[in-house]
Amino acid sequence: MKLSFWQSSLAAFLLCAPLAAQGVDASILLKPPADSWPGYHGDYSGQRHSALTQITPDNVKNLGLHWAFQTGQVKQLKCSPLLVDGVLYITVPDNVWAVDARSGHQLWHYTYPPNKGFNIGSRGVSMYKDWLYFMTPDAHLICLNASDGKVRWDVIVADSKKGYWTTMSPLVVSNHVIVGVSGDFDNLTGFLKSVDPETGKTQWVWNATPPVGTPGATSGGMTWMTGTYDPTLNLIYWGTGNPTPVLTGKPRPGDNLYTCSIVALNPDTGKLAWAFQPSPHDTHDWDAVETPVLVDATFKGQPRKMLMQTSRNGYFFVLDRTSGENLLTTTFGPTNWAIGLDKKGQPIPDPAKEPASDGRLIAPDEGGMTNYRSPSFDAKTGLFIVDAHPSYGIYFAKPADGNFGWAGADYGVWGKGVLEAIDYQTGKIRWSHDLGPGGSGAGVLTTDAGLTFTGDSTGNVMALRTADGKTLWHAGTGEQMQSSPIAYELDGRQYILTSSGGVMFAWALPE
Amino acid sequence: MLLTPRNSFPMPKLTQSGFFRCAVAMLASAAAASAQAPKPAPAPPKTAIGAPAPNVAMPASKLVQTGGSLFVQQCGFCHGRDAGGGETGPDLTGSKLVAADINGDTIAPVIRNGRPENGMPRFDLPDGDIAALVAFIHFQKIEAASRKGGRRGVDVADLQTGDAEAGKRYFNGPGACSSCHSPSGDLAGVAKRFEGLKLEERMLYPRGAKAKVTVTLANGQTLTGELVYRDEFTIGMRDSSRHYHAWPASAVHYTVDAPAEKHADLLAQYTDADIHNLMAYLQTLR
Repeated sequence: MKLSFWQSSLAAFLLCAPLAAQGVDASILLKPPADSWPGYHGDYSGQRHSALTQITPDNVKNLGLHWAFQTGQVKQLKCSPLLVDGVLYITVPDNVWAVDARSGHQLWHYTYPPNKGFNIGSRGVSMYKDWLYFMTPDAHLICLNASDGKVRWDVIVADSKKGYWTTMSPLVVSNHVIVGVSGDFDNLTGFLKSVDPETGKTQWVWNATPPVGTPGATSGGMTWMTGTYDPTLNLIYWGTGNPTPVLTGKPRPGDNLYTCSIVALNPDTGKLAWAFQPSPHDTHDWDAVETPVLVDATFKGQPRKMLMQTSRNGYFFVLDRTSGENLLTTTFGPTNWAIGLDKKGQPIPDPAKEPASDGRLIAPDEGGMTNYRSPSFDAKTGLFIVDAHPSYGIYFAKPADGNFGWAGADYGVWGKGVLEAIDYQTGKIRWSHDLGPGGSGAGVLTTDAGLTFTGDSTGNVMALRTADGKTLWHAGTGEQMQSSPIAYELDGRQYILTSSGGVMFAWALPE
Repeated sequence: MLLTPRNSFPMPKLTQSGFFRCAVAMLASAAAASAQAPKPAPAPPKTAIGAPAPNVAMPASKLVQTGGSLFVQQCGFCHGRDAGGGETGPDLTGSKLVAADINGDTIAPVIRNGRPENGMPRFDLPDGDIAALVAFIHFQKIEAASRKGGRRGVDVADLQTGDAEAGKRYFNGPGACSSCHSPSGDLAGVAKRFEGLKLEERMLYPRGAKAKVTVTLANGQTLTGELVYRDEFTIGMRDSSRHYHAWPASAVHYTVDAPAEKHADLLAQYTDADIHNLMAYLQTLR
């Protein structure tokens, strides 16, 4: 083939110059373009809402499978995929894949060496410039080159021999990679750590609880999940987990700050700005690590910068995120463990509902009214949509169980799955949609077209109309969704990504 | 601590190779010996079937070690690092199923098939891995028996705080249990069949109880059978000759008769004392 001067010049130019800016910078994280999903929640707000409108309530019935990616793993996908420059990054414990978002074919696969950490789940990687950040079952933070999956550095975040492990997707804020830890089979201090994205060096540490062994003090407060960020206030918002010992409260009297709390920290210093505690003196393993969703809207006629959380303990909270002031506290399913609210709007636990030797029937169960998968906020309807789990469990503890780690026993009795659409102004449930016996556990994504994507307890992925919860589309995927959906647009085509088992599915309208 | 939901998982086919049984037997017996087992170790198999695999040659202590690493990764979150119970999963060292296990014959099927009704997923692991897990669980059982104090579980003795007379009144009165159950009928001898936590769990909500479905087709034909599958889109039943039928839920009318669901309605009504009293009453039905 003979090329004209202009054609050959153009070809030469294309060969020499990169096609586009690569990687993630602050502007992408602050305002993710439609062809990206550059952080765990997409943007920093935690709303898990997409502005895309190609897939609508009218045409969603035509949605079909564009590709599926098989990890070939028994380990289930529990990650939120990251999408940058047309490449998806997905994870299960000890494994990262780079996958072409257009075709679903693998670009590279990184495996972490065998280790003794807990394989509970991996929520995904995060990205800064051209580097990926991946946390391991034995509590290491690995920096990988996004183009080939090669290790740049590997630092220890916490001592896995003491009982720590990690599952979360780090939060990248300016030049901080903010990581959290897990572990409650031992009495350990929960903490957040800020790491330098270039060197892996620690920038600051914030401890949720006093040093282990402090008389009368609690331990615990694990920082399981990815927080959210308000760039104007320059505060990160993070949920902390349960106190330890878990089911026995006697050795740790009082509220047990800052366990089961929502904390606001300065991302540059780790300094605490304020804290709110969804579960003071928890004895039911109800981490308050569900997404702290940031919403700017009016509340009772007044413009507010809010933070909303559907907490594992069955309560829905609306806070003013500048100060932590409580605006609304309500339940979103059956609860029987609190005797009222304190003046800060926090539930007051009923001492008669602490685990006991002959058992206490508690609503919700230990899995909670919701768990780690994301809810979604839809601004147009003012609905906070969450996978709820009305449930009961029985809780036991007696002196022979000791004061270390679990220190008791509990058993789920009954539960079901219900998608609930909560009006944030009133806390009233505007509609609910049954998801089947047992519970679903799927995350939720809403879009500007008025669609809600989630899954049911039998493995169906579904699209509902956000306004009223009516089912408009579904497909059986064989196993329950254990992750939260994302959406993106490439080449003028909108994709919805969901996973179940070890398979990632990309759904789109016919070409 | 975060949790996976109580899943319903499809049931895979059960497979158990001769090699596996052989390896488990060798390992379990060696593990027991190394820990100075209080009771005799399982007898070694009479014949070894299939080609020897690397694990067979692995010393027992090494196998228990391998099983321990695997256990922490795959099982530890629910059952605890030491198999003594963790998040939602029971203490395996006190498990009757583990006590009854010989060479993995009861443990391995549970690992492979899961217990979907209790929220335990299936684990599709190689035979050698399962052999190592079984060896580790038996080792931990022996370890736990030799430890003093410490308990993560519920003893029958813990559930004796109720008043049987009050329980009987609740049974016949506010609980309306007597509208479905009879102490001289279906519940006669129930305390001999179940005890302790198992009895209480079944009393609160009998998982896996069968439901009946009656389906009316578009042509007016009516079928009745056991409800096998139901989601928002599909209804599936097994008729009296055990044939499976399914329909799009939108194409038929159906009614489900699930009397056991009344147990779930009671959960919002019970006080803890009601539960303890009912337990006391049920334990008199021997």
